[in-house]
Amino acid sequence: MVTLLNRRSALILSGASVLALSTPLVAQDRRLRLAFIPQENPEKLLGDIAVVTAWLADEIGVAVEGFVTIDHAAAVEALRNGDADISFMGALPFVLAEAQIGAVPLLSEVYRGAPSYTGRIFVRRDSGIKTLSDLRDRDIAFADPISESGYLYPLAEFERVGLIEGPGAAEAFFGRIFFAGGYQQAMQAMAEGLVEAAGASQYADLLLTPDQQAEVTWIAESDKIPSHVVIARPGLDADIQARFVEAMLTLNQPANRDMLRYLYGPDGYVVSAPGVFDGVRDIARHYGLLR
Amino acid sequence: MALEAIFIRDFLKLLFIAWIGAVVFPGSVSATPAKEASWLPEAAAYRLTLFLGNLEPLPWGQVSIAWSEPYRGSKYSVGALDWLDAKSEINVTRLLEAIDQQDRQALFTEATRLIAFRIEEELDRLLIAENPTATRQAVQTGRELYRAFADGVTAADPEAARNVGIAWLDLNSSAGSSGVLGAGAISSDRETMGVAVAVISDYLKQNYLVDDFAPRRRLSALPETAVLNGRTIDVPPSLPPGSDIFDQSPLPRLVLNFEEQGIDEADLPLVAYGDMLFDSAQIFGGPARDLGIACSACHNRSDVNQRLFIPGASHQPGAIDVDGAFFNPIFNDRRDDPIDIPSLRGLRFTGPYGRDGRFASLRDFTRNVVVNEFGGVEPTPFMLDALVAYMLEFDFLPNSMLAHDGRLTDAAPVAARRGEAIFNRPLAGLGERSCASCHVPQSNFLDRQAYDIGSATSPYAGARAGAFDTPTLLGTVYTAPYFHDGSLPSLSAVVDWFDETKSLGLTGTERSDLTAYLETIGAADEPYEAFDDENTAFRLAFSELTTFASTLNTLLPRRDAEHILLLTDTVAADLSADASTMSNLAARPEVYALADRLDEVGAAVRAGEWVAAETSWAAFQRQAASLDQSAF
Repeated sequence: MVTLLNRRSALILSGASVLALSTPLVAQDRRLRLAFIPQENPEKLLGDIAVVTAWLADEIGVAVEGFVTIDHAAAVEALRNGDADISFMGALPFVLAEAQIGAVPLLSEVYRGAPSYTGRIFVRRDSGIKTLSDLRDRDIAFADPISESGYLYPLAEFERVGLIEGPGAAEAFFGRIFFAGGYQQAMQAMAEGLVEAAGASQYADLLLTPDQQAEVTWIAESDKIPSHVVIARPGLDADIQARFVEAMLTLNQPANRDMLRYLYGPDGYVVSAPGVFDGVRDIARHYGLLR
Repeated sequence: MALEAIFIRDFLKLLFIAWIGAVVFPGSVSATPAKEASWLPEAAAYRLTLFLGNLEPLPWGQVSIAWSEPYRGSKYSVGALDWLDAKSEINVTRLLEAIDQQDRQALFTEATRLIAFRIEEELDRLLIAENPTATRQAVQTGRELYRAFADGVTAADPEAARNVGIAWLDLNSSAGSSGVLGAGAISSDRETMGVAVAVISDYLKQNYLVDDFAPRRRLSALPETAVLNGRTIDVPPSLPPGSDIFDQSPLPRLVLNFEEQGIDEADLPLVAYGDMLFDSAQIFGGPARDLGIACSACHNRSDVNQRLFIPGASHQPGAIDVDGAFFNPIFNDRRDDPIDIPSLRGLRFTGPYGRDGRFASLRDFTRNVVVNEFGGVEPTPFMLDALVAYMLEFDFLPNSMLAHDGRLTDAAPVAARRGEAIFNRPLAGLGERSCASCHVPQSNFLDRQAYDIGSATSPYAGARAGAFDTPTLLGTVYTAPYFHDGSLPSLSAVVDWFDETKSLGLTGTERSDLTAYLETIGAADEPYEAFDDENTAFRLAFSELTTFASTLNTLLPRRDAEHILLLTDTVAADLSADASTMSNLAARPEVYALADRLDEVGAAVRAGEWVAAETSWAAFQRQAASLDQSAF
């Protein structure tokens, strides 16, 4: 079913809605609406949403709708005004959404056995760079100025060891700072020798070619960063919320794992809690992103 | 737009690809190919044009398709022309005229200028973009388009490549940020952007927006100034978009006769060395060697590679023209005749070799592959002995539904039993012979003869050139498609083909039963390798590579520098490359260190320092043993 929503909620793409035929006593007003943040291939995302919502409707026993928003702001707005009940986002957008509308964390995505990851400072093995202090006056590429693992957390490591006094002092320490546009671009710039170091996710070296991977190493690692989180709007019906969480946790079972590839491809989910994000709130405040 | 989310999602997608890679790619121990990022449609068409433009005869039909249809595996649903129509103001008339007129130089000119104009178009867009998100989108698109030229610039002028690379970084950095949820917004730095745009734009004007390009003997993305300079520049070979040289998934199970008998390959140094050569691209010449294409690239684990595809050399996945223009121009037969990759299982029973049985000797066949088809230097007698010794160990897949004499066992389904009777029944359409007359059950379902059954199109009037070897029917469930050219997609299609072309007069039920029979004798108990969390494809590769290295126990005492260096160059590179597929990421540095030990062996041998070579080899063995448990 095409979901038509008003312009205020800035929804750009049609979604998918499925009524669970196996649960005929479902009331029409007991439905769950999922807001998805766009990814690289919107066509694929729409197809994924259709699969996920159909499966969820069957599992939960209520109608489930899914739609794609323009961006995080639109998703949060949809949660605020009740057009969406659930959304999927990174840890930083979540803590901002929490502050703005009281969004609630439900589930954390699991990758490689953990619901968290880190940011690292990568260098070429043959560069002779062994410590963060070796990067004084050298050029570095980060992923993006609002990337947790691709800027905020790795840069904080320079502060931790006393090389810079704060985010605003980074330019005085390094030669040049670039924001390459993503993990892969930052890593590629380092691997190709355009810069001496890259700040990116701990797994970002996997984005290089096998030969390049053998040529790079990392010299510093950040604190753990919570992985992507499934969040709910405040006031969502407790029963539906519980059934949603229960259904999502069944994706950890081998028989259901295929469904994960329709949900941004994590290895599974664990139940999340507000305390998990204390570090992210601290970082966000430190960089002036959160009051 | 909140860019963090985009980065994370892109990353997770790529990470997912990398994870898939851990399952799919490292089954062979040839250098692990790199998974390419997607190409924009027009950039893909350009790269395909360069590749196809170097083939002789030039496949103009495929060039046309390269621009009109999405490349194989593209994430975009439209081809370059439709894409340009929607995204660009560029007029493609002259490009299409060049294709129509089959003018190679004009094609190169127009295609090159088109990509350069597209980059310029994006540079213009980013300068007038109204917000950081739109600016960065234009930067990203421009950079993805520039990728079509990048290897040529890097090969010809590293300093220019660096300057342009920094300019792209400058552009992205100065584009600003929309922040996330109202926080962290950064405005664009127009002045820096203008300087960076000028760097890129000036370079394009000098090198890719040229009115009259110098004639190219080989089409490449080399900048015009470098070509005019006259210096010889080698651009590393690359495969065009749509190529696929990854191993198939699931990975075929390799059945080696000695292994099934419990004999350790490390105790068979000639076989182990042949195993290494089978996985070594070093025995071939360029471009196969540089692209990491080894015997095992086509013959995954002695079987086939159903996904292998190279535009211009493959007419469909699992097929390749090994005597075309790409691999070894001097061996180019100028005939567009790719063949379906044959399985090598049971190789010692399946001679003569080649689809038409043109080589009686496996040794002669192997030399022809190395020297003629793939342009390698003349292999030593030891290398040929080793390759042949290894390949003669390839056994058929065990099949509990089939007895030694080729008759079905009680485990076979009833329909297959009915089909067995049909298979052995003389048929008028076959001249009162039966299927079993050629596919002799007690002889591994072949008769080592060649027949012209009418499966090939006659190349000229009166030609008697359509005879092919009787293929075995063992293991065929896993080797679709069928016939020499892979023209039949399924075993049931094969049955239908014989029924129709030979007027066998089979009923529908009989065709179904005969198909069931073929599917039964072509089945296997365990056709694929089974992996789990720790028994990974990398562990399999690691085990193989360390076994290959064990031949140093034989070669070092013999001071056999030539074959040692071939081994160390192959295995050290493959160890490093395969480490990228490990699920146990923490152990990767140890694998890199292990590869370094092998490189040290090679360096010492090159220097004639045999004691040092033996010391490094001993260190390798110690480190490999300690790494064994964590090698997954």
